[in-house]
Amino acid sequence: MRRFVLIFCFFLCGFKNADDLAFSKGWLALVHYQPAMFGGYTATIGSDDFYLSPVGQRDPKAELAATIELFEAEGQEQKKCLFPARFLFLKKHGLLTKDFPKCEEYEQLKKDLAPSGVTLLFTDAYMNNSSSLFGHTLFRIDTSRKGTQLLAHGINYGAYTRGFEDTPFYAIYGLLGFFKGGLTIKPYYDIINTYNNIENRDIWEYHLDLTDEELDFFVAHIWEIGHTATPYYFLSRNCSYMLAEILDAIKPDLNLASEFKVYTIPLDTVKIVDKSKLVKNTTYRPSRLNKIKHRLKQMNKAQYKAFLQLTKGKKTLLENLEENQKSDVLETAYQYTQYRYVKKDLDLKTYRNKSFMLLSERNKIKAGQTFDELKEGQNPVFSHNSAAIALGAGFENGHAFQEFVLRPAYHSLTDNPKGYLKGAAINFLQTHIRHIDYHDKYVLQDLKVLELASLSPIDRVFAAPSYRLDIDLLRTADLKTKKRGHIFNSEFNMGGTYALSDNFWIYGLAGLEGAYGGFLKNNFSVGTSGILGTLLSFDKFGFEAQIKQTLATDKSATVFEQKAVASYHLSQNINIEAQFKRQAKGSATLNEWRAFIKYFY
Amino acid sequence: MKKLLSTSAALCFGLALAGSANAYDSTGCGLGSMAWRGQSGIAPQVLAVTTNGTFGNQTFGITFGTSGCDQNGRVSGGTQKMLLSFLENNLDQFAMDAASGNGETLSTVAGIMNMDEKEVASKAYQNFAYLFDSENVDAVDVTLKFYQILKA
Repeated sequence: MRRFVLIFCFFLCGFKNADDLAFSKGWLALVHYQPAMFGGYTATIGSDDFYLSPVGQRDPKAELAATIELFEAEGQEQKKCLFPARFLFLKKHGLLTKDFPKCEEYEQLKKDLAPSGVTLLFTDAYMNNSSSLFGHTLFRIDTSRKGTQLLAHGINYGAYTRGFEDTPFYAIYGLLGFFKGGLTIKPYYDIINTYNNIENRDIWEYHLDLTDEELDFFVAHIWEIGHTATPYYFLSRNCSYMLAEILDAIKPDLNLASEFKVYTIPLDTVKIVDKSKLVKNTTYRPSRLNKIKHRLKQMNKAQYKAFLQLTKGKKTLLENLEENQKSDVLETAYQYTQYRYVKKDLDLKTYRNKSFMLLSERNKIKAGQTFDELKEGQNPVFSHNSAAIALGAGFENGHAFQEFVLRPAYHSLTDNPKGYLKGAAINFLQTHIRHIDYHDKYVLQDLKVLELASLSPIDRVFAAPSYRLDIDLLRTADLKTKKRGHIFNSEFNMGGTYALSDNFWIYGLAGLEGAYGGFLKNNFSVGTSGILGTLLSFDKFGFEAQIKQTLATDKSATVFEQKAVASYHLSQNINIEAQFKRQAKGSATLNEWRAFIKYFY
Repeated sequence: MKKLLSTSAALCFGLALAGSANAYDSTGCGLGSMAWRGQSGIAPQVLAVTTNGTFGNQTFGITFGTSGCDQNGRVSGGTQKMLLSFLENNLDQFAMDAASGNGETLSTVAGIMNMDEKEVASKAYQNFAYLFDSENVDAVDVTLKFYQILKA
């Protein structure tokens, strides 16, 4: 029988024997081998237990032989139970004669999951937590349980960082892979509570197109990986990277992991999965904040006034409303009360008190909700790519220059806003190299180590502060002496934003700055600054202008600056930009014009 | 080359802030989240459920950030245990859905109880004032009452 299966497989599977199979895409992905730098293979998974052969970490063939040996041997049930996916794989290729043992815990997992599909989840950026700026990806194993997907399970790959979150070791350990990464599992309602309701982040659900066999294999493989720990690198081998390796194990032809060379950004993972045609459809779960905003937009004046009064605990205006206008107002007020409680604006007693009042009122009304729910957001799949290069030219006080810009990540306020968090900018290591014609020299004009901006409009209902943080190594000029030199400059400004319309915002910020460098008189300068600005953001066009006054201990740093950036989005991944900057100190000025073409890749 | 090297070192740092998107979310449920839960609750003996002693009297507003799963982080157990776990952790949303007679948590309860969705919704709506009779209701109480209503 075994011989027959082997011969059968020779034709069907294309693998002459176990030796060939050991180097097939399927086996390499299943045991998480990646090509080693100097030939051969190296394993991603860090647990020794995951490898049955003593040389299994680098020898796929020995590992395959050891796996066959395990399953063909008598006993060792506990060990066998750790590798259901390997069993399925080898059985399919006719290399095993025995059956999979009875594994109670594994059976219980399958019973609890009641799997019916796999969904890739992407959660929006979260500007209040530096570790979540780029969003997050995780899996959901959909449930076949009757009802909703609330009882499905989220499968998260993360680092075990407990106890280190607020220490300086956090970043260093994360970079060097000292933390261990592993899979955790949680009911989907918990995931929703965390992301939608506590952190107010949208969730995108990308439903993957898997066959029943692939689904079984996925669950089996999750079980295998669930028992391992692997060094977690914030930069590269992070949450998103491991998801790609897991998908490769299920569908080896995808080769998703090989697309990540240096670093892995969650949004890129989503795009790569989307590109691979693995997504059959997409659904959207707005954050609580976005749900409330969407409802507020649909209110008429009387409803809005009644809403505002309700949030203060009174209901006289509500009583004046038509019967069918009340329930939407009450439900929105309840959601808003929850939102404020989570933000710690309300204490528990007040929260309970208001909730009880609002819901009791709501329950008295028979008429249902008339507002529609927010069903569509801007799918991140259609956002511009996360890395960018730009080529440009310009004049500085009449002197021509050319400039090359490289930006590893991620998004500026004037870039195409589609699919990105509105009013948020995150840039890392944006590097400007400039060639100046008149003395034919290349200079590092600006290295923006980190640029963060979060503008959120304030109105009567929502009041979040806006801020900007800039850390630069930049080539600056003393306007009086005309001298130039590099300084290391940090600025933090905070204030408020007001929306004149959805696409037209104005903001005012004030803050502190500090600079360091031999160019400055005492090698350093500290100062204070005030900024007034405006941001226009449309589908095809972005514009930002600001004026800024700085007062600093170093005279050269005390300047008045006007700046404007206009960006036209030719396509998803191409921008044309024009920039103007004018610095003034008394009668001395510096004027700079630049034009760029920017490509996102 | 020197510049390239220094750039890559800084790049690591940059994304150190970023790539760890889920680091804070890494403990899973079970032991990690138990610390946040009230431990003083009365044992709901009427329901005869066992949840490894991980639940307390979850009232309005304590439900955020807790994990209503067993120690393995899963939705598990029989009807009653599942219903309690679910309501304990979604009480705030359930309250709104019950008040309006419409919503995802009601569909979920209908699923758990293997009942018709509309029937569950209308029972929740009609009995809201009984289920939520004060601002200090607790999840065990609500579950108990609702279970009896649904079974009636």
